[in-house]
Amino acid sequence: MSAGVLQITGLTKRYGGAVALDDVSLDIPRDCYVSLLGPSGSGKTVLLRVIAGFEEPDAGTIEFAGRPIVAAPVYNRGIGFVFQNFALFPHLSVEENVAFGLKNRAGATLGKSEIRDRVRAMIELVGLAGLEARGVHQISGGQRQRVALARTLVTEPPLVLLDEPLGALDANLRTRIRAELRMIRERLGVTFLHVTGSESEALAIGDRVIVLDRGRVVQFDDPDTLFERPASARVARFLNCYNLFGGAVAGASFQSDAGEFPLPRGPCPPRGFYGVRYDRIAVAPRAEKSGADQVSLTAAFVASEFTGPSLLSFFKLASGQIVEVETPLGDRAPPQYELGEAYALSWRRDGARVFA
Amino acid sequence: MTTAIVSDAIESPAAAAQQTRRRVVYWLIAPGVLWMLIFLVLPMAMMIYVSFWTQTTFKIEPILTTRSWVAFFTSETYLDALWTTIRIWLIVLGATLLVGYPTALFIGLFVRNKTLQTALLVVCVIPFWTSFLIRVLAWRPMLGTEGAVNILLMKAGLISQPIEALLYTDLSVIIGMTQIYCVFMVGPIAFMLSRIDPTIIEAARDLGAGFWRIFRTIILPLSMPGVVVGAIFVSVMVLGEFATSAALSGRKVNLLGNIIVTQVGSLRWSFAAVVGVVLTIIMGAAVSILLRVVDLRREL
Repeated sequence: MSAGVLQITGLTKRYGGAVALDDVSLDIPRDCYVSLLGPSGSGKTVLLRVIAGFEEPDAGTIEFAGRPIVAAPVYNRGIGFVFQNFALFPHLSVEENVAFGLKNRAGATLGKSEIRDRVRAMIELVGLAGLEARGVHQISGGQRQRVALARTLVTEPPLVLLDEPLGALDANLRTRIRAELRMIRERLGVTFLHVTGSESEALAIGDRVIVLDRGRVVQFDDPDTLFERPASARVARFLNCYNLFGGAVAGASFQSDAGEFPLPRGPCPPRGFYGVRYDRIAVAPRAEKSGADQVSLTAAFVASEFTGPSLLSFFKLASGQIVEVETPLGDRAPPQYELGEAYALSWRRDGARVFA
Repeated sequence: MTTAIVSDAIESPAAAAQQTRRRVVYWLIAPGVLWMLIFLVLPMAMMIYVSFWTQTTFKIEPILTTRSWVAFFTSETYLDALWTTIRIWLIVLGATLLVGYPTALFIGLFVRNKTLQTALLVVCVIPFWTSFLIRVLAWRPMLGTEGAVNILLMKAGLISQPIEALLYTDLSVIIGMTQIYCVFMVGPIAFMLSRIDPTIIEAARDLGAGFWRIFRTIILPLSMPGVVVGAIFVSVMVLGEFATSAALSGRKVNLLGNIIVTQVGSLRWSFAAVVGVVLTIIMGAAVSILLRVVDLRREL
């Protein structure tokens, strides 16, 4: 991968006493789809707004395409921004919205016909051909999202910041536009930095995923690495696919309220959380004996949710903690569990991880 | 007749509901319509009617004649007053816009705290806590030959002789009216500006537009409905004015409003009615021209 398009060093932003960004350093690669994941209040939108120039950082530097930009005014940065609510100009048509940047940017020099050609080409690219003359209130939410994207992309910024761009769309549309966003980005070869609060969206859309927590970057990895090896218990909890048991290492096992688990091979922190992924747990009738290298727990069935390709079941431990199990179904019919009945939950010893 | 009875008899529940709804609507609009008929439409019709009555020095008779109309359009005094009214109206409209727009821009767009916004708008209407007459008359000690403005300018050494043109001229009437009616311009514009979503301005900045570009392409067009509503308020009030011009011009500036007052005072009803009709026509024209500028139904 070539040199990064955006380097951030030691970026800090406070609001009164609250720290929104705490010493954030990042190197965003060129020609890449980066998703920025974090719970609400983690500072992800603030980070985007500081990069775009809507907010000033208290400390730190930002270098964009090799030049420092912290002191540059917003309109001079050349970084695209797609707003969560789309922020379309309500008094302009679709075409006028898309043409706004080319017509009005400082030092605009393009001729009228050139602008029209580029705008038409961009409208075509995002699939809005035929809607050029419509007002932005006469089109659907998904179409508005495309106008917002086209309006930014037509000015050809090397970096586009997207602030929860799918948040205002319904679930069905979200997955479709998600795929389109990836396709459009690949076609143009620019970098997208996409903020989202949804772990599935972040994993699905990003070539790389940044996890932000309480103003700090806690992980920056490929999606599969992130899913496989979350950097901390908080990241694991946020990914929403790990059962976590708090406790400490004692000898060759991990002691927790839920019981004693043999440690996975490899280095372990002395205390923290023992985690096992929802989809790594097998459910069996209680009588069945677990094999060697297996960890086993007894829990009572509480409820289940059918999601289509898999079944998500909830079991209650003696300690009161709920354990979630995701069973991929394939061709099988969903297993039927008896309410309140005890089952044996088991997983491979090395399938678990201990987080600090 | 028969068909009506038959259709009534086989009325469906949906049609019945519709009928009830319609009846409710009629009841709701009845008071307003009645009020407007008795106190607006009827007097206006009466005014037009009276303007054609025959006026003699001591009495007025319902014998139709165009004499009052001819008198109005052949008298230089009255045509002068017509012209002065239009001139003062346009200047005051321009002045309130010039003073009011930046104020509204500040309150509506630069102040993002809603409480502070409301507080500032309240500050704008503080002059209205005193009576109209006091507000107008207060300009006399301000603008007179020995008034505050002249004293300040002389103390500052900017002038050696007091400026006499400040009071009892067109200028004093314009200053007085601008001050009184400015707030009616500020209010609607500030309201429209405060409804602009701040993120669309951020979006425009991000797309590379500087402040003036954003003002011209985004802020101004989106505030136009406010400008039009404000301009309608100011126009209607200035066109009907008579008190400010009487108090601040020393009776040198005669507006159509002043003429109506004089004519009514001397019981020349039919002539006053002619001026009233002319004034109403000008106001109607002004409002409809302003409404042409922006389609309010679409914008509000």
